[in-house]
Amino acid sequence: MMPKLNLTRLVVMLFVLTLLAAGCAKKPLTEEPLVTEQPTQEQVLQQQPAVIEEQPVDEAAAEAARIAAAEAAANKAVSGLLRIYFDFDQYVLTDAARQQLARNASLLKAAPTINVQIEGHCDERGSDEYNLALGEKRAMATKSHLVSLGVSIGRVSIISYGEEIPLDPAKTEAAWAKNRRAEFNARR
Amino acid sequence: MKIVRAILAAAVLYFFYAGSAAAVRIEISAPGEQIIPLAITSLLPMGAVQAGVAEEFQQVLENDLDLSGLFDLVDPEAFLGDAQKLTLHSTQVDFGQWRMLGAEVLIKGGYRFEAGKLTVELRLYDVISRRLLTGRRYIGTLADVRRIAHTFADQILLSLTGESGPFNSRIAYISKRTGRKELYLMDVDGHQRLRLTDHRSIVLNPDFSPTRKELIFTSYDKGNPDLYRKEIYTGRESRLSLKPGLNIGGRYSPDGREVALTLSKDKNSELYLLGTDGTIHRRLTNHYGIDVDPSWSPDGHRIAFVSDRRGNPNIFIVDIHTLEVNRLTYAGKYNATPAWSPKGKRIVFARLEGSEFNLFSIRSDGSDERQLTFGPGSKEHPRWSPDGRFLIYSLDRGGEKSIWIMRADGTGARKISSKGGHDTHPAWSARW
Repeated sequence: MMPKLNLTRLVVMLFVLTLLAAGCAKKPLTEEPLVTEQPTQEQVLQQQPAVIEEQPVDEAAAEAARIAAAEAAANKAVSGLLRIYFDFDQYVLTDAARQQLARNASLLKAAPTINVQIEGHCDERGSDEYNLALGEKRAMATKSHLVSLGVSIGRVSIISYGEEIPLDPAKTEAAWAKNRRAEFNARR
Repeated sequence: MKIVRAILAAAVLYFFYAGSAAAVRIEISAPGEQIIPLAITSLLPMGAVQAGVAEEFQQVLENDLDLSGLFDLVDPEAFLGDAQKLTLHSTQVDFGQWRMLGAEVLIKGGYRFEAGKLTVELRLYDVISRRLLTGRRYIGTLADVRRIAHTFADQILLSLTGESGPFNSRIAYISKRTGRKELYLMDVDGHQRLRLTDHRSIVLNPDFSPTRKELIFTSYDKGNPDLYRKEIYTGRESRLSLKPGLNIGGRYSPDGREVALTLSKDKNSELYLLGTDGTIHRRLTNHYGIDVDPSWSPDGHRIAFVSDRRGNPNIFIVDIHTLEVNRLTYAGKYNATPAWSPKGKRIVFARLEGSEFNLFSIRSDGSDERQLTFGPGSKEHPRWSPDGRFLIYSLDRGGEKSIWIMRADGTGARKISSKGGHDTHPAWSARW
């Protein structure tokens, strides 16, 4: 960039000097060659914008690449946010839950366009109302942990469904364990 | 077994007698005498015979009176000639015949169906004193036979015990028979079912206004568990509380002027009192633990609720004026869904043992805990009849969820919801 500009300035200065020289010298009109050199200088000036115009083309490509990367991160977050599980009548996060939350937090931080609603769920044992409150405690504990891992608090909302939406309606320990959970509902 | 039942029924009867000394005609003495031998004769046509009227009336009345546990029905096979006579005046009745059969109380009646109008004449006679205890004439249509029978059953209890029965009232409940949880209404015997909501979301935990034909319930219709109010006859519906987070477990105060409920707007579930315009009147609890499931004392001064503030879920009582909190239950590891008797003395609740709930009752001072239900299946959501004689609850057994009714002492349990309905969360209306 700089060398070109300097060259341009140089050429312009040369031209000006030439004009001055021509003016001062009071040369006869027959000395045409100096005048015919002007088009060459104009060509240099015309080339300049052509070189600058190439840059927006580069930026558009970079923007497209950035959007694609964000889209990929968003898709990854939407599909990669996995549910976590809780112990009976507990809303304390287990070690396994914390590990999954660390992965979920990374996915969310990589995809800043994605908001997430955390759903708190319970197994069917326990009273309905108590489980609505417990499900909310689970969702809140999950949200707090994500925020502590650096996910912006404004991106995370919560809702409790208590025992209303079990994953597995069976009355077995395995089913109950599956139903005590927090789900991540990604929203673009 | 029959003796046990008789003693329990006597206890129940005594309980109500104590609260209403006037107008009682049945003497309370030895427990064994408290089952009243009753003869119910068929309604006789006072004009042209209308098929089904007498049968339906008989079935509804017998079911109500059997549930009351106060009567021993005299076998109709043994009835003599007087049963075939329309005797609407005590001087016409052959009381000797009824006395011979051991009946102490006698129901007689007749009906007339003319020009779409049904008239039912009913009489309750005291066989021993040969007197009319109560007489009623009901006028309606053929569609009102069940209602007339329920109303007369209430009248019989009023006449014999001094306190009306709860049979002409309604049960609100949640059913999943459309695939989604919606609010329904039915009679106390499970008939006349009617769906009230079409939210196609999740509708939960209804409660009747004690003074108006109105219900409150929670619904996820707008994406958050908000508290709704619905007028039953107009169908008009509005959101009463829509704070962020939970708006659940709404219960009208006994005077109908306030609603106790759980809100989690401050990031933790706490009990609040709302005005009927939805404004917050008062915060009742302040603890980081879970506080849910309010149930009013009948005097409106205290509220029983569930809290895990001492570890496991247990029943506590808060004084709504001083906000002093006292613990009610200590036994068991998981006690929930308290329901305070409209008579004030006892609180029924559900205790989780293993993976199943059973119903217990305890005095409001924490003494005299009794187990009311036994056997397989989880029994939850107990609520009282307006007269305190009966309890209604949900049973989850073998994946089928149904609604049951029983006497306050745990006897006489029977299913009232129909098969395959996934019916839960019953609430009993005031007298209709």
